[in-house]
Amino acid sequence: MLRVRDVSVSFGGFRALNAVSLEAPPASITGIIGPNGSGKSTLLNVVAGVYVPDSGAVTLNGHPLAYGRPEQVAAAGVGRTFQVPRLAHKLTVFQNMMAGARDQAGEGVFNLFLRPGAVARCEKEIASRAEAMLKRLGLAHKANDYAGSLSGGQQKLLTMGMLLMADPAVLLLDEPAAGVNPVLIEQQAALLHELKAEGRIVLLIEHNMEMIANVCDRVFVLDAGELIASGTPAQIRADERVVRSYLGMPA
Amino acid sequence: MLDFAIYCLTIIAVWSVLGLSLNIQFGLTGLVNFGQILPFGLGAYAAALAAQAGLSWPVGAGLGLVAAVVVSLLVLLPARRLSQDYWALITLGAGELFRLTALNAPSLGGADGLTVPRFADPHLALGAALALMAAAWLLSHRIAHSPFGRMLKILREDEVLAATLGRNPVAYQRTVSIIAWAMAAAGGVLYAHIVGYVSPASFTVTETFIVWTALILGGPGSTLGVVIGAAVVQLLSVSSRFLAAWIDLPADVLANGRLALFGLVLVLMFLFRPQGLVPEKKEVRDAPRP
Repeated sequence: MLRVRDVSVSFGGFRALNAVSLEAPPASITGIIGPNGSGKSTLLNVVAGVYVPDSGAVTLNGHPLAYGRPEQVAAAGVGRTFQVPRLAHKLTVFQNMMAGARDQAGEGVFNLFLRPGAVARCEKEIASRAEAMLKRLGLAHKANDYAGSLSGGQQKLLTMGMLLMADPAVLLLDEPAAGVNPVLIEQQAALLHELKAEGRIVLLIEHNMEMIANVCDRVFVLDAGELIASGTPAQIRADERVVRSYLGMPA
Repeated sequence: MLDFAIYCLTIIAVWSVLGLSLNIQFGLTGLVNFGQILPFGLGAYAAALAAQAGLSWPVGAGLGLVAAVVVSLLVLLPARRLSQDYWALITLGAGELFRLTALNAPSLGGADGLTVPRFADPHLALGAALALMAAAWLLSHRIAHSPFGRMLKILREDEVLAATLGRNPVAYQRTVSIIAWAMAAAGGVLYAHIVGYVSPASFTVTETFIVWTALILGGPGSTLGVVIGAAVVQLLSVSSRFLAAWIDLPADVLANGRLALFGLVLVLMFLFRPQGLVPEKKEVRDAPRP
């Protein structure tokens, strides 16, 4: 269970998040929606350990996550993507995928020279996993292309794959569908359902309401740093405040 | 003439070590070290001071390596809290700090420098330089094509990405600095014993600039490229001396002209071939089986 309790964040005098609380249970997809500037990405950055909240707490299965240390949060099993996908553009797709795996024997300098056998074995195992992951994402034919040459949608899929190589308990996805063609959006939605079936906690920031409605079990709505509503996608669509602040009046 | 060729080869080998060290930092990891001459100088001075104190050369070499590693960690202390842009300034400052200290401290020989016992046989010096270059090459190659090197390249492309993948960028930068600075210090120790003399004038920002020229010319991230770059730059440097003698150019014009030439090389490379003469190779894997 991922718990965010009474989290507040200010930038100078600006209150980006005001006492926001939410819960995301395992094997679920939780959507976070709201207008631009409502604090969605700030919330994601707090959970991911980029921002230090002024008050409040974030816990995963009862253990607090480190603030201000993204690498520790990532190592604790929280993977996150970015609106603009972050990849090593001048490494191949395959190399990027390999780098996603955790605890690699070959990342220790002494191992490189003293235990080459262990390094090679570990590398082989990771390579076969990376291969399987590329097939799963439909990127196998791109394995030897530079990651920078992929389309935006493919890059987003690749970053998800890189995170999955580390088998994270939590996935924080920042607008995976933005700027992605409809075919890939469907593929993403299918992938999200798989991740849910694997028991992962998925937190999804998205403006694409169709995707939210298709995949989310529960949706939280932010407006001006405040949580204004939560419920199933259907309940959210019927909520008057949400319609007024975000979804807009039907014509 | 043969002696001169041997000397040239020796110097090229030593500068290749310095270039390979910079390549691990910048070419693989993206660390902009504008004080690359500092660990080299530390090694050279450690060799000289040990010799002055009557200690044997392995002791001097050991001291040089330890000094470089310790100083690299000290330089990292402020750098880890700043963005990578400041890395250049900090290393540049550290290098100058060392040079000015050596220049003004009588115990370090001041401007006159210190003498170091030279290799009795130039063939032996060449052999030692080539052996060190081979070791640096193998080390660089192993790192560049390993999972460790892969993560360094991720770090080079995007530090935030490395953190997102659960790696602590500072820990990797520290490891890289320790390896690269020890490598450069080893080159410095050897340099001192080859030249037989160390003085602050040998460890200026200009020297760092020349290593950078070799790296950019050869190809950042490419082990072979760096060695080729070092060879071209050193040969240009040596041949410009003959040219100057031939057309009777004063020494100061020559020295400045050489730097202008290197500057031109840098500009042309950045404009027309930023990947260098021997670009970093794409790590291609056999096509996945369908």
